[in-house]
Amino acid sequence: MLDSLQLMISGFGIATTMQNLFYCLMGAIVGTLVGVLPGLGPIAGIALLIPATFGLNPTSAIIMLAGIYYGAMYGGSTTSILLNVPGETASVITCIDGYQMAQKGRAGPALAMCAIGSFIAGTIGIFGLVFLAPPLAEAALAFGPPEYFSLMVFGFIVLSNVTGTSLIKALMMAVVGLIIGTIGIDPVTGNERFTFGSAPLLGGIEFVAVAIGLFGIGEVLVNVEKPLGMLEEKVIFPRLKELYPSLQDLKRSITAILRGTGIGFGVGLVPGPAPVIATYASYMTEKKVSKHPDEFGKGAIEGVAGPESANNSACQSAFIPLFVLGIPFAPPTAILLGALLIHGVNPGPMLIGQHPQLFWGVIASMYIGNFILLLLNLPFVPFFANILRIPKKILLPLVILFCITGMYTVNNSVFDIWMMLLFGGLGFMMRKWAYEGAPLLLALVLGPKLEVAFRQSLMMSRGDFSIFVSRPVSLVFLLATILFLLVPVFRILFKKKKGRDVKVQS
Amino acid sequence: MKRSEAIGAVIIFLFGGITALLSLKMPIGTFRVAGSGLFPLCLGLLLMALSGLFLLTLSFGSERIIEKKDRVVFIPGSVKQILPFFAALVLATLFFKELGYPLTSFLLLLSLLRILGVNRWTTNIPLSLVTVVASYLLFVKWLQIPLPKGWIGF
Repeated sequence: MLDSLQLMISGFGIATTMQNLFYCLMGAIVGTLVGVLPGLGPIAGIALLIPATFGLNPTSAIIMLAGIYYGAMYGGSTTSILLNVPGETASVITCIDGYQMAQKGRAGPALAMCAIGSFIAGTIGIFGLVFLAPPLAEAALAFGPPEYFSLMVFGFIVLSNVTGTSLIKALMMAVVGLIIGTIGIDPVTGNERFTFGSAPLLGGIEFVAVAIGLFGIGEVLVNVEKPLGMLEEKVIFPRLKELYPSLQDLKRSITAILRGTGIGFGVGLVPGPAPVIATYASYMTEKKVSKHPDEFGKGAIEGVAGPESANNSACQSAFIPLFVLGIPFAPPTAILLGALLIHGVNPGPMLIGQHPQLFWGVIASMYIGNFILLLLNLPFVPFFANILRIPKKILLPLVILFCITGMYTVNNSVFDIWMMLLFGGLGFMMRKWAYEGAPLLLALVLGPKLEVAFRQSLMMSRGDFSIFVSRPVSLVFLLATILFLLVPVFRILFKKKKGRDVKVQS
Repeated sequence: MKRSEAIGAVIIFLFGGITALLSLKMPIGTFRVAGSGLFPLCLGLLLMALSGLFLLTLSFGSERIIEKKDRVVFIPGSVKQILPFFAALVLATLFFKELGYPLTSFLLLLSLLRILGVNRWTTNIPLSLVTVVASYLLFVKWLQIPLPKGWIGF
């Protein structure tokens, strides 16, 4: 534990260099903007900014990109409260009580509590990361290909189970992502696969093109389809002097913040869209334990403080599986994995030993970033709210220009722009048919790792599939996978039984 | 509604089938020593199985159909807006290298703004110009990214 503290202090030394402070600030600002702007989430935001990090060292690059991720969580709450439109999915729940508070003239305390709760949660989350990551990394050293394969399968199933409305649809998207991930050179034999003689396809489909296409262009197209002028109404603009919460607000919120932090941290460690699940879980908990549950939905400050703390805490703990196992459990961390690989850093159990500067520097920067965000989000809320005044008909073309420019700069390739447009069209159609993009993106990033683990495991066992169940850790992951697969079946059976009981009673 | 959902599932089924067929043209090997085609073949078959299962659940009505408000139809009149919007993106990509970054992005912004209803040239042209100059300064001058110059030469 003392070692971790010492290393953390050295991390602060790295994070507080002028260069890293600047990129931390940039990440926090861009993240807040990405969170504030409806339609541009952290996934597209991080993907768009990856090319801007090519000239940086890996530590500065990840400091900035991580800042976008947790900064978006802060920014997302602004639109939820002032506009009743969530800036990103993790802020959906904040709309319920946040917007009600704003309508009662209490937008300021709601926004302030979001910032304070996020800061406290982020800080506690970082300490959890500091003390949990090193022992987990040590344990993960014992993982072989079968364990990694089972863990990744577990991740896909859990993510598919918790995203969207249909498990089968989410699984289909995960398999489509895995298939797209096989395009290019076979990582084991070196043979070409599905390249059709095209040189740009030899390196595989650029994951940034898929991310910007599905989550950036796709979202813009959905917005273009909607009647224009939707965002030019109902914005509530708080004044600076109205921002500070009363002592009563703080008293009511503190336990909600602490509970939200705990829930968020736990949820961030398991596969799935952690911030989204964490906010729902926190909101339901607050409603259950509250002395006045009737206030929920009508502007209860706990309904804002708890979920906002939970999503920030989940953001921090989601870095544990990414850094320690090299396996992202959520799409934004999948993009960060891609960014790490672009910078020549292979995350996994060896990361802390091989790249201590990056690991401890990024963690320390998160603490600093949270502080910057607190400073940014309190006095500058009116400024961020003003961004919402930009009409959508002007904002959308700007987002498109940024997407095209950002995409070209990844490889200086027009082919990547074509890919981005293709996946943009696909993303638009997927939204129409209610297919989720998150499993596809995660599968695309993890696909090559999954295939290598699968083939290595079978090589080790000479083609015997029992290797996946004969090793205890792998068996545990597979049993958990089966359990998660059975959840929807049990849900249907339970509903049917309940329906029968109701019929019998009536 | 159901039909539209089924069309989506059939497209995915066909994608799985094509993947499996193309995989068969690669060395398959054995599970002990897998060839390049084995993993995509398994994935193709798995995708066919999943989409087939989805089609079955659709026909037996056990799969929850997406709600009416999200139904798979284009909002009336939206095609008129989406098609030119997407066409502008395709044209910009097509002539990106030839026209160069500044000119392509200026023309793209100009057309997208018009498609979205910014019809006054006094707003449209200065807005596009300022954005292009700002992005040029950011990407080309500050970040030193070699964006295409095209025939205008900068």
